[in-house]
Amino acid sequence: MSADAEIPDRPRPRLADTLRRFGLSGRTAVIAAPALWLALFFLAPLFVVLKIAFSTYALARPPYEPLLAWTQEGVLQITLHISNFLRPIQDPLFANAYLSSVQIAGISTIITLLIAYPMAWFIARSDEKYRNLLLMLVILPFWTSFLLRVYAWMGFLGQNGVFNQLLQGIGLTDAPVQMLYTPFAVYIGIVYTYLPFMVLPLFTTLVKLDQSLIEASGDLGAKPFVTFLTVTLPLSMPGIIAGSMLVFIPAIGEFVIPSLLGGADTLMIGRVLWDEFFSGRNWPSAAAVAIMMLVLLLIPIMLLARAQNAVVEKGA
Amino acid sequence: MRRGLFIPIVAVLGFVFLYAPIVSLIVFSFNESQLVTVWTGFSTKWYGELFRDPQILGAAWLSLQIAATSATIATILGTLAGIALTRLGHFRGRTALTGMASAPLVMPEVITGLSLLLLFVSMEAAFGWPAGRGFTTIVIAHTTFCMAYVTVVVRSRLVDMDRSLDEAALDLGATPLRVFFDITLPIISPALISGWLLAFTLSLDDLVIASFVSGPGASTLPMVIFSKIRLGVSPDVNALATIIIAIVALGVAGATLFGMRRAKN
Amino acid sequence: MKKPQIAADTRPWRDPDAKPFVRIRNVTKTFGDVYAVDDVSLDIYKGELFCLLGGSGSGKSTLLRMLAGFETMTAGVIEIDGQDMANVPPYERPVNMMFQSYALFPHMTVENNIAYGLKREGLPKTEIAERVGELLKLTRLENFRARKPHQLSGGQRQRVALARALAKRPKLLLLDEPLGALDKKLREDTQYELVKIQETLGVTFIVVTHDQEEAMVLATRIGVMNEGKIAQIGEPQEIYEFPNTRFVADFIGTVNMFEGVVTEDEDDHIRIDASSEAGCDIYVGHGVDCAPEQILWYAIRPEKMVLSRERPEGDANITHGLVQDIAYLGDISMYRVMLDSGKRVHVTKTNASRYDEDGIRWDERVFVSWASDAGAVLTS
Repeated sequence: MSADAEIPDRPRPRLADTLRRFGLSGRTAVIAAPALWLALFFLAPLFVVLKIAFSTYALARPPYEPLLAWTQEGVLQITLHISNFLRPIQDPLFANAYLSSVQIAGISTIITLLIAYPMAWFIARSDEKYRNLLLMLVILPFWTSFLLRVYAWMGFLGQNGVFNQLLQGIGLTDAPVQMLYTPFAVYIGIVYTYLPFMVLPLFTTLVKLDQSLIEASGDLGAKPFVTFLTVTLPLSMPGIIAGSMLVFIPAIGEFVIPSLLGGADTLMIGRVLWDEFFSGRNWPSAAAVAIMMLVLLLIPIMLLARAQNAVVEKGA
Repeated sequence: MRRGLFIPIVAVLGFVFLYAPIVSLIVFSFNESQLVTVWTGFSTKWYGELFRDPQILGAAWLSLQIAATSATIATILGTLAGIALTRLGHFRGRTALTGMASAPLVMPEVITGLSLLLLFVSMEAAFGWPAGRGFTTIVIAHTTFCMAYVTVVVRSRLVDMDRSLDEAALDLGATPLRVFFDITLPIISPALISGWLLAFTLSLDDLVIASFVSGPGASTLPMVIFSKIRLGVSPDVNALATIIIAIVALGVAGATLFGMRRAKN
Repeated sequence: MKKPQIAADTRPWRDPDAKPFVRIRNVTKTFGDVYAVDDVSLDIYKGELFCLLGGSGSGKSTLLRMLAGFETMTAGVIEIDGQDMANVPPYERPVNMMFQSYALFPHMTVENNIAYGLKREGLPKTEIAERVGELLKLTRLENFRARKPHQLSGGQRQRVALARALAKRPKLLLLDEPLGALDKKLREDTQYELVKIQETLGVTFIVVTHDQEEAMVLATRIGVMNEGKIAQIGEPQEIYEFPNTRFVADFIGTVNMFEGVVTEDEDDHIRIDASSEAGCDIYVGHGVDCAPEQILWYAIRPEKMVLSRERPEGDANITHGLVQDIAYLGDISMYRVMLDSGKRVHVTKTNASRYDEDGIRWDERVFVSWASDAGAVLTS
């Protein structure tokens, strides 16, 4: 084929080709836009927190000492304060906040699991006609304001609340029971708020569970409870782990629920961080609390990632 | 037979548990008394009070603007991230992007809020931007955590989508950009809509992050509600909650009906 | 079975001077360490209906996707109509594809699906409408033009996919398991329809299939693929009657295979001692490129063997055994015979008569025999 014959066939240069010459393909742009945003507004802030956690409180704007400073001799001086990280060990208030956060989050997670499992099972085994409706009923509260749902419990659990009126009405107690501003209210708040997060992953694994496996187990002589322990439970493990972590992780850092439903003595790390920051204006201390909270959540987050992969793979 | 009843009973109690507080919230929004929990008679006066409260109205308007802006940016960025993670094969930093795109989902709100505030303060000290805190900083913060949710929704839709649809369009002479607008976008549009709605709701609902990154004069609706209810229950908040619940219920019911009609076709 | 009738003298692959339309030269595709396609060379001629036949993972689909431009080659050259395809993106290739899943755009009507490629060419509206009309007529879909894909039956969807792929008058049409999603009866009808359309339009077709029967019905030539390599290329009859390896013989149809040692190697015949497997000597009535003492295999199809109660004449190609099983399939019956050597063979017999009172029964001892040119000698 001669060179002349080829010219008319050559596609004319397009904008895309011109841009590509400068290394700007559409592909690069699609990756770069979200990656840069997340690097700047998600990753970088965590490093800033780390930096400030090693600083110390100062009466200034912003209220902390810079890490790097030029001394008068012109030497770059780096000052790292680890005192912020020692406080949780030295100050019993911080240590208690950590322990009680883990305790409250852990117990709430277990209670949520115990309520959510039968619900998820019920929805997964219900007639397909009603399944989506039931699922929607579980998700619907999630779409309404979280703050207002916690608020609803304030009215429900208060001295003159519906709950107390009910208890007195059926004669269980004579005087109102103090429920609001107690750890009990915090448990209820967490279980209530995060119930949908537990039901959904459980439902996802249970609905995929082949009914014939349960029938096969029964056919081979296992009683229903034994079937549950040896077949259903192990197979729904990824859902249990994913759901539990989806409750446990945010519960650890929870601020709104303990501050609205809990009493002054219900300590949780999220609340301590908030108070350090807003009331104490001690930014370095708040940053150190944040870092230590992250360290505490590292293992749960890894568990969650693994369980979610397992849930997704099973679906594929 | 006992096994047959146990599960339904727990399930029904679970649903009662989910809805009882919401129902009581609605009922007492029509209560005449100042005391939220003692029924004295039917009244809609708290609704009137609500609409005469300039602080609440101003905060609601600000929250809606923030939610619409951040949901839109989050949908665009989240969609790009979803495409990058499902359609572009392997690229350098793919694992890092996967991690960054889902990490905000599990990051406690207090940490997200604190870290972004510290970033904004450092940036302002270094470059003079963002000058002060308010609408812009809240939008940036909300976009960041909402785009993670959008990414999840869009990504799972793209994973489910038959890749040969894209290939068929390429095969029929459409350039990659054309394929995106002709084929991919229309097919994943339900995911984009639900991603946007999710981001909008999350932004509208957020108290903790906004409290950190907001500045004087920029109080969002949750911030105003929080300062009101911190001291105890207040009937106009019940009225506000009822309005929000009504809007959500109508919206979700509408979306479900629309989805069911689509599925039927 | 009917094939596109191309007179013997016009079969281009038999003409050493013919110019191939698609030239595939030493094409390799690796995914990590895996060779999906391994050094494949193949020529396909204009107007052919070429079938790539192989099991899953044989590399046939990868080869097809490289022709369409969805996969890049690791090494090698693909030329279509004299043009090197190396840097041509899928949307600029003179090739269209019909997808296994059909890949019909769910949000477009039948009409818009078919028109999609024409719109991308920027043709005037009237021309597009005319062409779409032609295709709807060709595929008998005129009454379904305004429907969406999910309102169609499987067979109708398949026809929309075909119409859409043909719309741009591609020089080459690639079909990935085009009949795979249809049920058996519909598949048989559609096979003939596909051949008819291909003949009418004269477009070159490359069909990927795992179904050997489908390949036999459709193809002018078949390329059998195994583990990324082309095992054999030939006309259907050639592949069936003259397989070149044990793999091909075994992959296409049913075959009885005997291992043996060459005892006589003459120009006009060879003799194989297959006593351990066949229980007799095998006499082959033509010369074979082999050496005395060489181990080789004799492949013979069930329908080329004969069962009898009496011992036929001759000193080779006759063995005996016990009928273990008879499968009555209507048109034929398949006998499973356990030879005295311990090897089980399959023998088929046409049920020419409706009454077979005196037929061979199970548990009967029988002789199994065959002609001297009935089987293929394989050295690998």
